[in-house]
Amino acid sequence: MSSPENIPSETSAAESIASAGAGTPAATARPARRLTIARAIAEAIGQEMGRDSDVLVMGEDIAKLGGVFGTTTGLLDRFGAERVRDTPISETAFIGAAVGLAASGMKPVVELMFVDFFGVCMDAIYNLAAKQSYFSGGNVTCPMVLMTSVGGGYGDAGQHSQTLYATFGHLPGLKVVIPSNAYDAKGLMLAAIRDPNPVIFMYHKALQGMGWLGTVQRSITDAPEGDYVVPLGKAKVAREGGDVTLVGLGLSVHQALDAAERLVGDGASAEVIDLVSIAPLDREAVRASVRKTGRLLVVDDDYLSYGVGAEVIASVCEAGIALRAAPQRIAFPDIPVPFTPVMEHFVLPNADKIVAAARAMMEMTSHD
Amino acid sequence: MTEVTVPTGLWDTGDEAAISAWLYADGDAVAAGAVIAEIMVEKSSFELVAPASGTLAILVAAEIPVVQGQTVARIA
Repeated sequence: MSSPENIPSETSAAESIASAGAGTPAATARPARRLTIARAIAEAIGQEMGRDSDVLVMGEDIAKLGGVFGTTTGLLDRFGAERVRDTPISETAFIGAAVGLAASGMKPVVELMFVDFFGVCMDAIYNLAAKQSYFSGGNVTCPMVLMTSVGGGYGDAGQHSQTLYATFGHLPGLKVVIPSNAYDAKGLMLAAIRDPNPVIFMYHKALQGMGWLGTVQRSITDAPEGDYVVPLGKAKVAREGGDVTLVGLGLSVHQALDAAERLVGDGASAEVIDLVSIAPLDREAVRASVRKTGRLLVVDDDYLSYGVGAEVIASVCEAGIALRAAPQRIAFPDIPVPFTPVMEHFVLPNADKIVAAARAMMEMTSHD
Repeated sequence: MTEVTVPTGLWDTGDEAAISAWLYADGDAVAAGAVIAEIMVEKSSFELVAPASGTLAILVAAEIPVVQGQTVARIA
């Protein structure tokens, strides 16, 4: 991770505002500088390429096109084809190459266009990259970033709509982060590139600011032009409350924030935790919130079983925190993602489901 | 007051264009040169840049079709 001196003094103020998804920062005189997550990612990579000649980018359609999800816009023009490389459609080859580049001192940022495609390159990721430092007694690190799109909701079916957070979070040696807004996206990417070990940087398609995927306006936040890092492995309180803790990541943070707004009408105040990272998982941040609220509802759009929700709930239960209602989770059921939009949206998490689950948890305790 | 217009000559006039996202809200302060919106044309993205500094007044919401040269906002 990067040293603290890279963090500008305005970071903490801007950070709390950005993570709350609120409007213009009052603390700064400059007009807000709003970016989509896609622009924030491209800006971070470009800044680090300008600062560090060891950084390069590889992937399918990332050079001339600028990435199908806009993550590398403008980089080819600035840095040239030597450092911004379009690859053939062979994840096996180019992600394997990235692991080798990292072992020999380069800092590759490599894009796996859809996380769903991990099958053909997983050996390089979990057997080589993830274990390089451990196997070499710390002598050979693997400073690579694998950025990859996750999530559905736009009718792209079962091989282009998964999130697979837990699949990666389960494997030792990998750090796994997912931003919910542009401020975090930029700071996390800068931290990820500087980290000596492999970081899986997941970005949710519904938050990219690409029109054809829909856009959650709250993810378009102020992001300073300068250099700053958002630490890997630290959760954030996106909204403070005292009655129930809603835990989310990426898109589900916004669904939880929408639900929290509606719960106000019931007289209930929900606290929303943005995990930001699932490996390392900031268990203490969740525990601190649940100690206060006594109720825990975890929301994610990965498959339910053996998932993020289970891990977060276990972290709280293992700490022996007194609960006012049984902890709950909302996730994607254990089925392939349907193609038909009506069926897909029926099974995806949303604010309605969160509100209903939170109300049921309040009910559970209103009689005792 | 400065009008913000959809750029011309960057894509075929027959292609359907729409603002995919306003990066700023109505009434926000914007700085000249900042990207204030993105325009999607056939899955390609184009930038809409603030021609002046001031307060943004949005005239055309996101997802509504726009044509080249159309005034979509004002900055005052």
